Amino acid sequence: MDGARPVFIPVILGTPRQGRMSEHVARFVLGEVSKREGVETELIDIRNISIPVTDAGENVKEAKLSETIMRADALVIVVPEYNHGYPGLLKHVLDTNLKEYIHKAVGICGVSAGGFGGTRVIQNLLPVMRELGLVTIFWDGNFSSVQNIFDTSGNLVDQAYIKRIDKFLKELIWMAKVLRYGREKVPLE
Amino acid sequence: MSKGDQSKGVKMICPSCGVEMNYHADKLDYTAALTEPNKIDPELGGILDEVHTCPKCGRTDVRKTD
Ligand SMILES: Cc1cc2nc3c(=O)[nH]c(=O)nc-3n(C[C@H](O)[C@H](O)[C@H](O)COP(=O)(O)O)c2cc1C
Ligand SMILES: [Zn+2]
Repeated sequence: MDGARPVFIPVILGTPRQGRMSEHVARFVLGEVSKREGVETELIDIRNISIPVTDAGENVKEAKLSETIMRADALVIVVPEYNHGYPGLLKHVLDTNLKEYIHKAVGICGVSAGGFGGTRVIQNLLPVMRELGLVTIFWDGNFSSVQNIFDTSGNLVDQAYIKRIDKFLKELIWMAKVLRYGREKVPLE
Repeated sequence: MSKGDQSKGVKMICPSCGVEMNYHADKLDYTAALTEPNKIDPELGGILDEVHTCPKCGRTDVRKTD
């Protein structure tokens, strides 16, 4: 592996909703990623990505987003549960790229008002990840009753999430490094 | 080698670094099939992209298999 290049893991905030609690989760995870030695990160806020809704796929890709995903070794997707599914805009944004994702790692953080920590939205997102060419890890972030995890300023109240996200990120970084080695060194037989 | 592998027989060269890229995946692109329906692989139902990544800068490029 080229030791000179840090691992790059952007965090996608997967809803544009006014008052979104998922922003607290995304900022918390972003902070935890940025503490890691040799890992760079940045926030991708889907609210700031202007793509038309009269077309879909690579026809409407936004250059900056594509460059960021191209540079990424892994992604964290922070996704709120909306009627047990994912926000439509998140899917629309994800669909605008393809080659940028191939053989890269992804970890998903589900966010819900209810008690299941976005488990249902995570399960619904897994087959989409697979078709995009992303490789999912076995740890998830499950932010149940998110209104109780952060205070109104977005500060973490429930400290258990630090250990949980540590496990999630360790696995994601390992997978990111292994897949980078594979993309760059292991040929398709 | 199976059908479609290393279709053009030559390694892709990274336009930024000038080094040989690693061919590590074949990916079906269903959306390319919308614009070029005559190129759909009848056995696979889409257009096959070879995926190549530069070992120096990490850039990924695709090219269509023959
Ligand atoms: C359209 C919509 C549907 C929702 N459906 C669910 C749901 O199925 N399960 C759940 O636990 N919470 C549901 N919620 C509540 C969200 O999970 C809650 O708002 C949480 O804070 C995460 O979303 P947010 O980032 O938009 O705030 C829904 C919210 C909206 C706006
Ligand atoms: Zn290069």
